[in-house]
Amino acid sequence: MSDDDDRVFKALADRARRRLLDRLFEREGRTLTELASKMAMTRFGVMKHLRVLEEAGLIVTRRSGREKLHFLNPVPIRLIHDRWIDKYTESRVSALARLKAQLEERGTA
Amino acid sequence: MIGVQTTQVYQIFIKASPERVWEAITNPQMVAQYFFGTQMEKSTFAVGSSVRSWSPDRKTLWTDNTVLESSPPRKLVHTWRSLYDKELASEAESRVTWEIEPQEGGYSKLTVIHDRLEGALKTAANVSGGWTLILSGLKTLVETGHPLTVFGRSGT
Repeated sequence: MSDDDDRVFKALADRARRRLLDRLFEREGRTLTELASKMAMTRFGVMKHLRVLEEAGLIVTRRSGREKLHFLNPVPIRLIHDRWIDKYTESRVSALARLKAQLEERGTA
Repeated sequence: MIGVQTTQVYQIFIKASPERVWEAITNPQMVAQYFFGTQMEKSTFAVGSSVRSWSPDRKTLWTDNTVLESSPPRKLVHTWRSLYDKELASEAESRVTWEIEPQEGGYSKLTVIHDRLEGALKTAANVSGGWTLILSGLKTLVETGHPLTVFGRSGT
């Protein structure tokens, strides 16, 4: 689903949003108030960024009593990894592995 | 421990009905294709029943979990113990919740919550990469009928 990829890449293309993801990586299940506390922006600004991240599927919110808790969802990044990064790194890794095998063969000959 | 979460949430959208997603979670033949080749025994998935899974060669018991809540095709809750690793097996029991919600356009939203991991920090660190791979594989299997190639790769 390329629409989903677009949303993930756009969500990641912002330093404040990446910082929010990092803060959730340190500890999940945080409230908006906690997340807004160390950000150099308004509570409303943080809320907007969290909404973009949620729409991209990068964070998931769950209610716990009266609180809304934010959790990191690593699955979309995994899908991006499978679709984009694996594809390119794998060919390079296997090219290096081939080179290594050839050099080693030569070394023993 | 930074980066080790005692409540972990994983979510994925799958182009399939909740019934199809439920089947992928409970049918041993399907589970084997995205859950590290595990051989799951047939289970009724009724509350109180056990769900036992073995290594691909059926020699080692990987999990022996108990169903805590079951409402097909929308919600399944079961205990979790990592019997596949001696060190992890000694840790306290945790809990896994599968939630399936129908979405517009023929999609289902699958959310896996692995929580109550306070007494199982090594398990918490161990499963986090696994769940993303499992859900990615489950999605591919349900949408295409084929397993994710990563499990089919040899020599890596």
